Amino acid sequence: MEEDTGLARDQWATRFGFVMALVGAVVGSGNIWRMPYVAGMNGGGAFLVIYLVLLYLIAVPGLMAETLLGRYTQSGVIGAFKNFLGEGWSEGLGLVVVIVNIGLMSYYAPVIAWTIYYLAHAALGTFYQPGFDPTAFWAAFSGSPLLVVGLHTLVAVLVGFVLLFGISDGIERVVKWMIPALVVTLSAVAIKGLTLPGAMEGLAFAFNPEWEYMTDANTWIAALGQALFSTGLGWGIALTYGSYLGKNDDVPLGGGLITAVGNTSIGLLAIFTVFPAVFAFGLEPTTGAELTFVSLVSIFPSMTGGYIWGLLFFLGFLFATYSSGLGITEVGVTTVKEETRLTRTQSVIAVVGAWWLLGIPSAYSSEFLGWMDFMFGNFGLPLATLMILILVGWVIDSKRARILDLNHNSDVYIGSYWDPIIKYVIPTVMVFIMGYYFATNIEDPRAISGLALMTGLTIGSILLMQFIRRGKTNEPALTPGGD
Amino acid sequence: MAETLTAFGWVVMLSMIITLWCASIVALKKTLSEEDKKAELITQQGAIESYSPRALTELREWIENHPNDPYREIAVQRYNECVETLKEIDEPFYDWNDSQISDLEKL
Repeated sequence: MEEDTGLARDQWATRFGFVMALVGAVVGSGNIWRMPYVAGMNGGGAFLVIYLVLLYLIAVPGLMAETLLGRYTQSGVIGAFKNFLGEGWSEGLGLVVVIVNIGLMSYYAPVIAWTIYYLAHAALGTFYQPGFDPTAFWAAFSGSPLLVVGLHTLVAVLVGFVLLFGISDGIERVVKWMIPALVVTLSAVAIKGLTLPGAMEGLAFAFNPEWEYMTDANTWIAALGQALFSTGLGWGIALTYGSYLGKNDDVPLGGGLITAVGNTSIGLLAIFTVFPAVFAFGLEPTTGAELTFVSLVSIFPSMTGGYIWGLLFFLGFLFATYSSGLGITEVGVTTVKEETRLTRTQSVIAVVGAWWLLGIPSAYSSEFLGWMDFMFGNFGLPLATLMILILVGWVIDSKRARILDLNHNSDVYIGSYWDPIIKYVIPTVMVFIMGYYFATNIEDPRAISGLALMTGLTIGSILLMQFIRRGKTNEPALTPGGD
Repeated sequence: MAETLTAFGWVVMLSMIITLWCASIVALKKTLSEEDKKAELITQQGAIESYSPRALTELREWIENHPNDPYREIAVQRYNECVETLKEIDEPFYDWNDSQISDLEKL
């Protein structure tokens, strides 16, 4: 396990490990069950063209900015804000990002738990028993709180165990084989799916462009949401993982381009994995989580060699969700270790314990899980993204950040086009998306409570940090790794 | 709904493969080979310069145009470190030529 000497900061041992960790953290269940049907429902190829433009225009530069912030400050999220704005109220903004990640993980852990359960039954061959009913199986499982809470606890143990070993000996050691294995397993299932009769209809659904969608604002909103949120921009993960980069490491390629494009590459792979099989068996492609846990389960027994394809699919799915769990939790662990007197081991126990406890209602009730997803997905994550990007774009100033740090030891030169994207485009888009969600859901009481929760969270965090740091000076530290 | 991929569908699908899968592989290969090159140069000569010619020129212009900026000190420090390293090492990491290096002066 990592020693808690507090003398030297852990670092990624290899470039490959850093890239795999970051890609693994942002590739999650959404890539597998959301990306394919969002594309299919929003004009197929037309959506994908828009999505691709937004990915390169916004997500790639945004992730560069976030990773840069981590590498420059060599700190977690609270430390990054403190580095530029001084101690006190500003640290509350970092605290918001930590709380959003803990909230996010509290309802994501039950999703990892579902995956473990389905992988176990794929291995046991349950889906291939005569008379197996996937709908009844799902209902029995999700209606068994004790079982789900038990698996939720298992997820806490599995995530906490790896994080106890730190960055290079823990996360890196696991993701270096897990992410390539994810690609291999999904590719194997995709190849099998593409050989099924009727598979081309699935590809037609996903890729044939319906050009009229190009002029529909909803398509652009959906593409923006997918490009921003599925790439993990502004969650604090790229910042946290970036803080463990060495002084000679590059940011733009690994932290920006490969993360965003690699994440979407796995989304594209998921289209090839899911849609051909779904259409070959005449299933409804727009059912979200149900698609994975009910529909797909029903088709594996009908496929030649279905046992192995089902096993590979759920193995890949587990790798995707578990590596995200590591990244989301590490945001809190790094920050708690830096900002308190706790050792890394104690920080892991504290953070994992916090989301485990908060996650019990989500594990107990899928309705509560949906409510948490609405709150944190629609309001919490955009808020976190906005704060991190405003810090880089306005407080540090994007031009200064690029010239001084982004091109420092960079594998590729980043030009001045980057500056206005960070300073103006991304914040404007984030405000627009949040406003749009609020306006279109204004009659939904959850929208009001979501807005109230996030406003309260921000004000409460600022006041709390102001209170904790009361009496200290507010001089920003302007040196790299200023703490 | 069309049951087969149209010509435009093929174009979109192949474009996605090129701009995502191929781009990922090329970028990953580049960053890993650059890491190897950096490690090799550091082992051989102890250090590498930290800015490319274009990036260092831009840094110098920024320093000259922002004399009162609170980050100027860090910028000058990084600039001078890079110039010093370039004058000391035999083989630069970035695409520097001898005349560019000899023209450089610390601030």
